[in-house]
Amino acid sequence: MIRLGSLFWLVLVSATGLAMFGVKYQVQALEDELARTRRVITAEEREIRVLEAEWAYLTRPETLDTMNRRFTSLAPISTKQLHATVADIPMRPPPQAPQPAPAPLEPLVAAAEPNAAPSVSLGLAEAVPQAPPAEMPVNTVAEPPPTQSALRAMPALLQRPAAAPQLARAVPAKVVAKPSPSRRAKSLDDLIAQIMASR
Amino acid sequence: MTIAAPSFDNNPCRPRHFKPPPCAPVIPEGPARKALEACRARLFLTSVLFACVFAAVALRIVEVVLLDSGGAQSHMPRFRMPAPPTPARADIVDRNGKLLAATLDSPSVYANPKQILDPAAATRKLVRAFPSLNAAELYTKLTSGKSFVYIKRHLTPKEQYEVNQLGIAGVQFQHEERRVYPDGTLTAHVVGYTGIDNNGFAGIERGLDDTLKDRRDPLQLSLDLRIQYVLREELQRVIDDFTAKGAAGLIMDVNTGEVLSMVSLPDFDPNRPGVPDPEYPALPLADRMFNRNTLGVYELGSIFKIFTVAMALDYGTSTLASTYDASRGINIGRFTIGDYHGKHRVLSVPEILMYSSNIGAAKMAMAAGGQRQREFLARLGLLKTPKIEVAEIGAPHFPAKWREVNVMTIAFGHGISVTPLSFASAAAALVNGGILRPATLIKLPPGYAPPGQQVIAPKTSEQMRKLMRLVVEHGTGTMAAAPGYVVGGKTGTADKISGRHYAERKLLSSFVGVFPINDPKYLVLTMVDEPHPNKQSHGYATAGWTVAPATSRIVQRIAPLLGVQPVDEASPEIQKALMVESLQGKRVENY
Repeated sequence: MIRLGSLFWLVLVSATGLAMFGVKYQVQALEDELARTRRVITAEEREIRVLEAEWAYLTRPETLDTMNRRFTSLAPISTKQLHATVADIPMRPPPQAPQPAPAPLEPLVAAAEPNAAPSVSLGLAEAVPQAPPAEMPVNTVAEPPPTQSALRAMPALLQRPAAAPQLARAVPAKVVAKPSPSRRAKSLDDLIAQIMASR
Repeated sequence: MTIAAPSFDNNPCRPRHFKPPPCAPVIPEGPARKALEACRARLFLTSVLFACVFAAVALRIVEVVLLDSGGAQSHMPRFRMPAPPTPARADIVDRNGKLLAATLDSPSVYANPKQILDPAAATRKLVRAFPSLNAAELYTKLTSGKSFVYIKRHLTPKEQYEVNQLGIAGVQFQHEERRVYPDGTLTAHVVGYTGIDNNGFAGIERGLDDTLKDRRDPLQLSLDLRIQYVLREELQRVIDDFTAKGAAGLIMDVNTGEVLSMVSLPDFDPNRPGVPDPEYPALPLADRMFNRNTLGVYELGSIFKIFTVAMALDYGTSTLASTYDASRGINIGRFTIGDYHGKHRVLSVPEILMYSSNIGAAKMAMAAGGQRQREFLARLGLLKTPKIEVAEIGAPHFPAKWREVNVMTIAFGHGISVTPLSFASAAAALVNGGILRPATLIKLPPGYAPPGQQVIAPKTSEQMRKLMRLVVEHGTGTMAAAPGYVVGGKTGTADKISGRHYAERKLLSSFVGVFPINDPKYLVLTMVDEPHPNKQSHGYATAGWTVAPATSRIVQRIAPLLGVQPVDEASPEIQKALMVESLQGKRVENY
């Protein structure tokens, strides 16, 4: 009679053996797959090399020149186009109480700034203190003097002229306070970086 | 092994289930006991040995599986991993990473004639697939009885597919690679080309053959493909406009020595180096493969005067205020040195350069002396073979004995032949503060300038910049002006030697331009071989009418690509920076 202990060891040995064979075949299968994948990668890499060469061929300056003449007729940059650089575009001057004529772009730039107040209220707030209400909407009704219809378009402003200066006093203070001095953009690039960071 | 007590076991009446209680074996005294003990000792020793081995195996398993020491790779050939593809040669790219030369797979088809059952049928099929093959030749190959004959080398993927479709037994593919130049003629002279076995035959491919074979990463050149295109197009335009024989151009970063562009025309297609060019059907191959920039040596003529003036100023034998009488030609031996753009009066040093006076330059060189002249040219590297990565390099020609007549002619660039490349390196040293740096075609790390040699004083370099600006503002090179980019330069029109004499009608017009000359960044050297006058140039084929306008166009096109910001040339700072003091208060007569 086989002793219980021997039986236990026998079972264990066969189980280990079976498991080992199982693992071995698994590994074989995996290695086969690995080799296959590597072959595919090699083939793909070769293909990529061919495609890269083809891309270089299709984008050689001669072809681009011909295509440019046919479809876009872009010209080399002339000296005239290079007189100013991005650095030459002035930044918004630091907000001081009496500002010179407001640039039409300002509300947009300010609106794009993080933590800034909504553009509409900001536009009002900055425009109102330096100009009488009739001249205010520089960007919407530029040249013609305010006609009745134009005036009617802004009833709120005309009806409550007394309210506007209050609003003006309140909001610029908020705008000045919001972007901390260290975060104020020094250049346009800086500003764009800030906008991107806030997204 | 236990030895039961015999008294119990031998009892025949013992019940089957009855076992005598275990008891210590009774070991008889004497030799048996000794043998038994020896046995026990051996057993113990063996078990310790096995335990050690198993422990080692266990430890190793733990190490391999858990610690992953990297030894867990299969050693069976069946599982050997296919190596990632190694291109036989490294790719070549331009400074922006644009591919200039790549190695692609292109299998060759070969046959084992011993395995081919029906050579006649196989020949028929193969000739149908490749009409370029000669049927008779192929049949001879297939019946030769060898075991390896090439049928066709370097197939395209489509051709490979077709051969597979034929299904001829004994016809097989061999893995091979082939060099491809996507940009074709554009960089032909710089990159060069390789033969059928991928050995470099010309250009960088030959000059850096070993490096390219060893490398895996692409080799990055200092060349900029866009600028190369602009330069080639403008030079081609000069050739077409003036029905010239050829042209060459070179654009160099004066502060690092990097060559951004190098064009030599006529050129060739490195993908098919042997095939005649439809544009120049009659031109021999050697002429098209000739790199005028590095292999050609030329008497460059008046552009050499910048060296004469720099030498005289640097040695102090002349100052900007010195004057030389250029009213009459110099007779020396059987030669007469005269001026092409003669003013027939006493000229100051700036005027000699502005109006390109041969007489003035010769007198300046004589004042300095031949020994100084020779030493100065040697210091600028003009008397030795230049070093650059391409294989084709020309050695300069200069007189072994530096006679008086040589001193005079070399002063205006005759009697000495150098490569345009050496000239460009030396000219860059004149304007960049006086530091001569070796020219290179390999991209340098940004912001790095290789160590150079101080060849002239920074003060002389500054004066040269001012004088070269003067040439473009008021002198012979006015047509090279590119508004906003402050071009400075020098024209040169040389008579070509034919046989033993100078040919009056055969010219070599060249222009060296530097921009922006107030803060030199790039040097443009252009040269056109045998230009013929046309109607627009009013009968002139001199440098001022041929390559100077081309330089202006080139500068205006490449400056935005190179990030050079145009400036207001009339602004006081620039005017002041480029003012020549000795001409202060004098009326400058325009050429």
